[in-house]
Amino acid sequence: MNRRNFLKYLAFLGANFAFTKDILAQSKKELAISEGKDYEKITKNAIDALGGISKFVKKGDVVVIKPNIGWDRKPEEGANTHPLVVKAVTEECLKAGARKVKIFDRTCNDPRRCYVNSGMANLLQNIKGVELKHLDNEKYKNYKINGVFIKEWELYEEAINCDVYINIPVAKHHGLTGLTLALKNIMGIMGGNRGYIHREIEESLCDFNSFVKIHLHIVDATRILLRNGPQGGGVKDVKILNTVLASTDPVLADAYATTLFGIKPEEISITKRAYERGLGEININRAKIIKV
Amino acid sequence: MKITIPRLSQIVFFIIFLVLFINTDYRGKDEINIAINSFFRADPLVLVTYILSTFSFITLLIPALLMVIATFFLGRFFCGWICPLGAFLDFVSLKIKKNSQLKIFKGKFKYYFLFTLLFLSLFNINYGGVFDPIAIFIRFLTFFVYPLFGYVVKSGWGWLYGIFGNKIEFAEGFYKIIKYNILPFRDTFYPLAFLSSFLFILIVFLERYEKRYWCRHLCPLGTLLGIFSKFSIFKRLPKKLCSDCGECKNICPTAFDREILNEENCIICLDCQVKCKFGRVKFSPFKFNIKSANPDLNKRFFINSFIFGFVLSNIFKNGNYNNKLLRPPGVADEKEFLKKCVRCGECMKICLKNALYPSYLEGGVYSLYTPILIPRKGYCEYNCSLCGQVCPTKAIPKLPIEEKKKQVIGIAHFDKNHCLPYAKKTNCLVCEEHCPIPGKAIKIKKRREIGYNDKAFELLEPYVDEKLCNGCGICEYVCPLTGKSGIEVFREKHSF
Repeated sequence: MNRRNFLKYLAFLGANFAFTKDILAQSKKELAISEGKDYEKITKNAIDALGGISKFVKKGDVVVIKPNIGWDRKPEEGANTHPLVVKAVTEECLKAGARKVKIFDRTCNDPRRCYVNSGMANLLQNIKGVELKHLDNEKYKNYKINGVFIKEWELYEEAINCDVYINIPVAKHHGLTGLTLALKNIMGIMGGNRGYIHREIEESLCDFNSFVKIHLHIVDATRILLRNGPQGGGVKDVKILNTVLASTDPVLADAYATTLFGIKPEEISITKRAYERGLGEININRAKIIKV
Repeated sequence: MKITIPRLSQIVFFIIFLVLFINTDYRGKDEINIAINSFFRADPLVLVTYILSTFSFITLLIPALLMVIATFFLGRFFCGWICPLGAFLDFVSLKIKKNSQLKIFKGKFKYYFLFTLLFLSLFNINYGGVFDPIAIFIRFLTFFVYPLFGYVVKSGWGWLYGIFGNKIEFAEGFYKIIKYNILPFRDTFYPLAFLSSFLFILIVFLERYEKRYWCRHLCPLGTLLGIFSKFSIFKRLPKKLCSDCGECKNICPTAFDREILNEENCIICLDCQVKCKFGRVKFSPFKFNIKSANPDLNKRFFINSFIFGFVLSNIFKNGNYNNKLLRPPGVADEKEFLKKCVRCGECMKICLKNALYPSYLEGGVYSLYTPILIPRKGYCEYNCSLCGQVCPTKAIPKLPIEEKKKQVIGIAHFDKNHCLPYAKKTNCLVCEEHCPIPGKAIKIKKRREIGYNDKAFELLEPYVDEKLCNGCGICEYVCPLTGKSGIEVFREKHSF
């Protein structure tokens, strides 16, 4: 290499570095926070703040929406995602031209009761293009996860083979993990003996979240369950915040949601482990927060 | 075959029977509006055994009382017009050749059978439901046919899906309609399916000896109705076979064993009237004093049945207290429960999370087919009170939901040799997560612990708050240990 070439090379490298830095600056993680009493409107606002649903959903897409419908509880008890939040996301998807929106969850209580009492059935059943579905046994397929703790597991095929996967957890207390938020909501597409992963919950959830492609996380903090989670059962355990968070980064969304409970993000072991494993950003200061 | 009015009535009631059966399920509402248990509430055998064993009456059984009164006037029309088992037998009997004789059950056997059952009830063993034709039919459907039907259709669809995948999405809408309206929602197989199907198939098998063999010679409900119909004012004439024809003997499904009409067996199907070439047969009221061929039931017969009943009511008595014998929510007293339970299977059919199963010998011979809760297989849904709503005799009381939640089925206990935090110093808490009691009947004790890798960590140990636990069993159901659960519900009573 002669001097000229060396200089050329250096210049090239420098330009390259400057360019990469630019991209890094641009890819600063975004978190949208929207507050207000009209849950449909604030949900839409949060999505718009991230650049609108059309950034995620293209015409003709099959969209899977995975709210938390785990418990036979009413919306005001704060155990399930608020149906209005789900409805707003659904409508946005349809507006963006989604061919089909599938909404489901593997419930803990009887699925029929959960779908009815969570308010989902009432609001979502009769919209054209929307399938609020009970799960079918034949659609669980075994996948090679090859994670730290989970090597293989049955997952719901429709959640894997879709164009867009939108995760809508509700923010609430949980006995084992402190809180249950976006990262833990993935348990709703797991088949088999789900309780098994409780013995190594942080690693397991990180394994699943690395394996499954989720495009958007919307955390329902319209009301949060402070105690006796994850299924609560008393309105006195519920605090109304009228807030919805949206992000493409589950760790960031969880980290911010944690602060709503007055807890530091690092104190929730799942969020912490997910950050360590590179699933997202735990430090809210390093993210771009968009309040609407 | 000509469709006569009784036939039409049979078909209509059979369809009602099936519709009620399929709709004995959760349909999006906490309350069941239509009387899904109508057939049992109109069942005189249920009524009589209930009265004999409890010495009381409940308003739920008023239809049965009306049925008894109607039988006094109209005879055994229930068997020929309403009974779904009878309708089914009439239908299949057409295809079964009658080629031999079976004598052992003929004669007075059915009376001994019925009165032994009645005296058993008097001695607190309500066994009527075990041999009640409607209960036999419902149990056959619930425990055997319906789960199998669901399994076949669902696995058939699963098989198609496995081959074609999303290509058969177009047919999915149709499949979903069937799945959510006709098929069982849950895939449960019942332990006593073999016995239920055996009894039912035996009844069908007997058709090869005579038309409606069961109804003529065995059925305790039919026999009971026959006794009531003795006083009926609405009877067939002539009472004998005509000497020049005698075709009635071939037409009649039940009542012409001999030359003379056996009135107690006449089920008013009107076949003889429709088919009589001479127009001689009439069913008319107010004709008394014509001797019929009923076997007379004397003092000796009653004494014999009484002794049978007494001996049988004691011979299989269960001396053991079984602490895993969990009864449905609201059942306070085992003895009272056994007096009332019809063993019809309605509660097991409707139970959302298939917590209820028919007991075999867990509670002794006398609890055969009564519902028991097996938490490892299914749990009692906290906000559901459907079993109490379908029980035809209030053996499981119908309670407002807030009351039902307080009913104690049993109490959960940790088995520290199995439960992960205790046995393996591993955090788990799946049971605590699922406990539905507001305020949690499973609570957590946090403790610093040195793990097996010599590192300190925070161990979360669950314990049961016995003041709150109602024994719904969800903890035992969800315990992620394969094999034995780390927490188990045992029968213990406490009050809130």
